[in-house]
Amino acid sequence: MTQVLLSQGTLPATDERLPGVFLAVCRSEWTKLRTVRSTMWALVFTVISTIGLGILLTALVVGHWDHRSASEISGFDPLLYSYAGLNVAQLCIGVLGVLVMTSEYATGMVKLTFGATPQRHLLLGAKVLTFSVVVALVSLVSCVTVFFICQALLAGRHAGLSIADPGVLRAVVGGALRMVLIGVIAVGVGAIVRHTAGAVAILFAVLLIIPGLVQLLPAPWNNDITLYLPNSAGAAMSAVVRFPNLLAPGAGLLVLLGYAAATMVVAMELIVRRDA
Amino acid sequence: MIEARGLSKRYGVTLAVDDLSFKVEAGKVTGFLGPNGSGKSTTMRMIVGLDAPTSGSATVGGRTYGSLRFPLHEVGALLDADAAHPGRRARDHLNWLADSNRIRRTRVDEVLDTVGLTDAAHRRVGELSLGMGQRLGIAAALLGDPAVLILDEPINGLDPEGILWVRHLLRSLAGEGRTVLVSSHLMTEMALTADDLIIIGRGRLLSSGSVTDFIEQRAGHHVKVVTPDADALGALLRDKGAEVAVDGPEELSVQGLESRDIGILASGAGLTLYELSTQRASLEDAFMELTHEHAQFKGMPTSLEASAR
Repeated sequence: MTQVLLSQGTLPATDERLPGVFLAVCRSEWTKLRTVRSTMWALVFTVISTIGLGILLTALVVGHWDHRSASEISGFDPLLYSYAGLNVAQLCIGVLGVLVMTSEYATGMVKLTFGATPQRHLLLGAKVLTFSVVVALVSLVSCVTVFFICQALLAGRHAGLSIADPGVLRAVVGGALRMVLIGVIAVGVGAIVRHTAGAVAILFAVLLIIPGLVQLLPAPWNNDITLYLPNSAGAAMSAVVRFPNLLAPGAGLLVLLGYAAATMVVAMELIVRRDA
Repeated sequence: MIEARGLSKRYGVTLAVDDLSFKVEAGKVTGFLGPNGSGKSTTMRMIVGLDAPTSGSATVGGRTYGSLRFPLHEVGALLDADAAHPGRRARDHLNWLADSNRIRRTRVDEVLDTVGLTDAAHRRVGELSLGMGQRLGIAAALLGDPAVLILDEPINGLDPEGILWVRHLLRSLAGEGRTVLVSSHLMTEMALTADDLIIIGRGRLLSSGSVTDFIEQRAGHHVKVVTPDADALGALLRDKGAEVAVDGPEELSVQGLESRDIGILASGAGLTLYELSTQRASLEDAFMELTHEHAQFKGMPTSLEASAR
């Protein structure tokens, strides 16, 4: 067993430049991501909620088409129902994003990770980028798929949108981008909190509980604040019709980008400063 | 080579590592000894950049760990054998590690073979036995073919065969000119494996140097003599300047004369000897003596302490 011990003289030049280190770490993070089962399950649930819920809600609207109220008809956004599933999908992405970071701490693997890459800011950057690319691809495919299925359902009522209609392509890409940014926030929260349960609780509070609590505030505070919560800002990114209770798509993107950037700045600072 | 200079780590009011300075040389196995909670793991974590020292510094091959770009090629560390995702397959665990430092994948097969896990490579880490997990951790440390190895309690959880294997592995790694720092709280194991010792207690350096020097200096040796003429021989040896303690009706413990001289003296005086043997103090005894006054937890009943030896 100890015969073929160690191949001698295989040390490559180790003064690799940082971009080279970054690429190697991205590959390593991709290997990590695809070799645990939680990744596959979270992504399957993401796709199912995005596509399944979109079809379900759109089919319900189509079903009671002739009984809609005047307000339902005037404020109808064909994409609103198609992308209702994103509100659930973002939770799946969020949990996976948290796990990408906290599972390292929970298993103690982070010692090996930091030992292999002492440039921790670079490591976190590679983690976020790799995860973002995976989320972007999966979300884009499901957003495009659910778009075409739902619009085909609505086409029977002559209410469907074409991908070439103004603002539609932007809204489809916006839906996927929303998932990516939620994912980035989740990885950041995971890096800050370092415990799975705590990080998931914070994420769910932000996405599920705080919107409800804010609604209890006296007007106009409730609606003004709601506009800027991650949920509403994200929903605004894939709206085609302008609603008074949503920001403009570009503004929604900027708000969500702001949350993601702020989380990452704190996470970067802490991951370098704290002991593993 | 590993070097620590004035290394200190403070957690709140506790000084876990206190102004520690030492050198670990290449081509030798250096045992890093200390009672539980004496700061061994904290020191090792600081060497590989996981924890930042409160003051002082540690370098590997003259460089701080944090300045290394693909450190696995230079330093292999086993700090926590459980440091793996239980749902990941053993081979994949090594694969991501290899990818991060651009180590070719064929090397993964080599180290799996070295630690004897080739047949278990497809199993999930959570399904491995304690000993197999430990072997996987050692495989991870060997992955980059590093010149420096830092292993925290590598024989924990290993069966006797595994312990023997680790002992041979460490010896051959040092034989290849590598620097091997291995921590343990098992003195007997270090007596068999290590060339040099670094002994700490309560975060402070108590002793460093070679194993043989340590035993000589700390405890020396004595000669056990069993004879029916204990009184006569005792008097004779005392005349020659030896220190003689009476251990029983027929048993003497002699310091200051070698067994050869005692045998010559006894035969010259016509005294019968049943037994004549040099007793070397074990590393265990020397270590206990050294760390006794530095023990982290005092107040252990004497009888318990004695039986623990």
